[in-house]
Amino acid sequence: MKPNRSSCLSLCILAIGLTMGATASAQSSPTAAELKNAAAKAPTTADLQKGDPGGTITGTINDVPVSDSKVGPTLPDVANQVGQNKIGINFTWTLIAGFLVMFMQAGFAMVESGLCRVKNANHTYMMNFVVYGCGLFAYWLLGFAIQMGGAAGNANLGGLNPLSSEHTLSLFGKTWGLFGQTGYFLSGHAYDVGVMVIFLFQMVFMDTALTIVTGACAERWKFLTFCVSSVIMGAVTYPLFANWAWGGGWLSQLGSNLGLGKGYCDFAGSGVVHSVGGLTALAVAMMIGPRIGKFNRDGSSNPIIGHDISAVLIGCFILAFGWFGFNPGSTLGASANGNLRIGSVAVDTMLAGCTGTFGAMLYMWITKGKPDASMSGNGLLAGLVAITAPSGFVSATGSAIIGFIAGVLVCVSVAFVENVLKVDDPVGAISVHGTNGLWGVLSVGLFADGTSNYGGSWNGVTGSVTGLFYGDASQLAAQLIGISTLLGFVFTFSFLLNLALEHFVGHRVSVETEVAGLDLPEMGQLGYPEFVFRPEPEFAAA
Amino acid sequence: MAANKSQGSYLGVFLLALTVLSAGIAYFETGFGKLTLAIGAAGLVASMLGFLNIKPLEGRTAQRPSPLGAKLVGACVSALGWGLTLIGLHLTPGTGGRIVVALLGIAVSLFGMLYVLPAAFNKNAVWRAQSGSPERVDFRAVAKTTTTTVEETR
Repeated sequence: MKPNRSSCLSLCILAIGLTMGATASAQSSPTAAELKNAAAKAPTTADLQKGDPGGTITGTINDVPVSDSKVGPTLPDVANQVGQNKIGINFTWTLIAGFLVMFMQAGFAMVESGLCRVKNANHTYMMNFVVYGCGLFAYWLLGFAIQMGGAAGNANLGGLNPLSSEHTLSLFGKTWGLFGQTGYFLSGHAYDVGVMVIFLFQMVFMDTALTIVTGACAERWKFLTFCVSSVIMGAVTYPLFANWAWGGGWLSQLGSNLGLGKGYCDFAGSGVVHSVGGLTALAVAMMIGPRIGKFNRDGSSNPIIGHDISAVLIGCFILAFGWFGFNPGSTLGASANGNLRIGSVAVDTMLAGCTGTFGAMLYMWITKGKPDASMSGNGLLAGLVAITAPSGFVSATGSAIIGFIAGVLVCVSVAFVENVLKVDDPVGAISVHGTNGLWGVLSVGLFADGTSNYGGSWNGVTGSVTGLFYGDASQLAAQLIGISTLLGFVFTFSFLLNLALEHFVGHRVSVETEVAGLDLPEMGQLGYPEFVFRPEPEFAAA
Repeated sequence: MAANKSQGSYLGVFLLALTVLSAGIAYFETGFGKLTLAIGAAGLVASMLGFLNIKPLEGRTAQRPSPLGAKLVGACVSALGWGLTLIGLHLTPGTGGRIVVALLGIAVSLFGMLYVLPAAFNKNAVWRAQSGSPERVDFRAVAKTTTTTVEETR
């Protein structure tokens, strides 16, 4: 039989394939030999017993776990160790960042209590203390599953594959995520090392949102109602929006489903954490009413001075320190997938806090004549809140601008909330977290510079997040839809839930309790027993 | 009334019921899950009724009733803004159109939040009460007695 052209071609391909196989085999042999050689040359136990002051012989190929001790280290052994190192670095980074965020609770406690009167110090500290337990418990029961139950696919933390069930809705030919369905009680398949890491990190974020409300409602919130309200917020309100933004929900799908940028982008939670907390604070503060003596009959307001400005400023510093966990930690890793941007994220965070302080301090100094300490502290926090969403996507210059605007904005917003809305917010939480959280979300759509590259995509859309000033208006549209959801859904949902609590439990303490101070009636103990109680000027004049 | 044993008890019931309810949700696929869910829901209702039962013991607060209808209207207007934004996603295919509709939705929500609701809550606010009205007189009397009590305690 005469060979035809196709037979010749097949023979050629076969020959090339065999050659490549031989080459691969030839390459694998020296590698295995090299590994054995390296193991043989590695420092022995006797060498290590002499000590290693320079750190040059500790950590060698002999520290790589081997699958077969008779064979020694193989290429798969080394590759597995490289993979585990990556995940180990990311676990460690995320956990330490989570520990920093947890410590922010101490900062919030000091800021809020310092801005309240002596007679309510114990109550305010106690709310900040107990909110941690309320939130954690509710999040373990329900919240985590709702938020992250469908969040599988995170390469930084080993895939998070047990979190694989998202309840979805098909609308207009597209599938939209609504809430997660796995991870209740961290049981079943959720009993997983990666899931535990993401639980801890997301839990402390959720708790930050909850503690914002205690500031706006301080000095008149019934402790019982605070507990119930916080549990509900940690179980439902926060996790629902967090799922939509971070857990694979519909806001994050705006890019893949409708072509709106990379979907709603909120790197570390200006919207998810701070706006949710700030808007809930507005809803409850509106409902609970102002403190006795805050407003006069003509609507003008009286300043009610906090008892410890030093605690306020130290608290602000603690918060700024904790923010290094909040923002850089939100990469959820330090190794691979573009995570080396953590340096940029950290510097952006510092800069926005700095310019936020200047924005508020200069605004107060120029308009009121003094560089107000508490507003300067709020300016720092406002800058940090505003940079939380864009910190992973903007340049240093962008972050400085965002922070400065936030610093001015917080002063204007505090005056607006008090003088126009007639809502009493003792610590400025609504303005710091609500207003500037929204500003942070918006600023992503304006300032994102298109240089970040977290594994080549964000929210499943290839490319890097780019805002209007760098050529992508569709990202701004996604951010505006996020803002609309925060205002229209989160605020309304929180408002209705707390309106129901107002009916069943009642948010406010009695007049007697409020005038006496909440420490004794609500907590059974004064925060500062040595201090002499002085009645409010309005009552003393009666 | 301030904090007391009844409040602590009902909070305990609430937390326990929420735990049972969550277990019911987690295992809803099974018959046991459905039963647990029902028990948890009943527990939540019981805790709420308990809260409602002891609520009058709190005594008078520095609040006066404000119109519930206006509050609900405010909440509805806020939600309407969001609805408008969502509908706009479907009706307007272009980015510019979606930005405009989203801004409109935000404006509607803000109107509900920052105008309708504060007006509802401030309509009968205590701080608007005339000097000499029962609320004002009470506050002063309370302040005097409370001051005395606290100083005597010290």
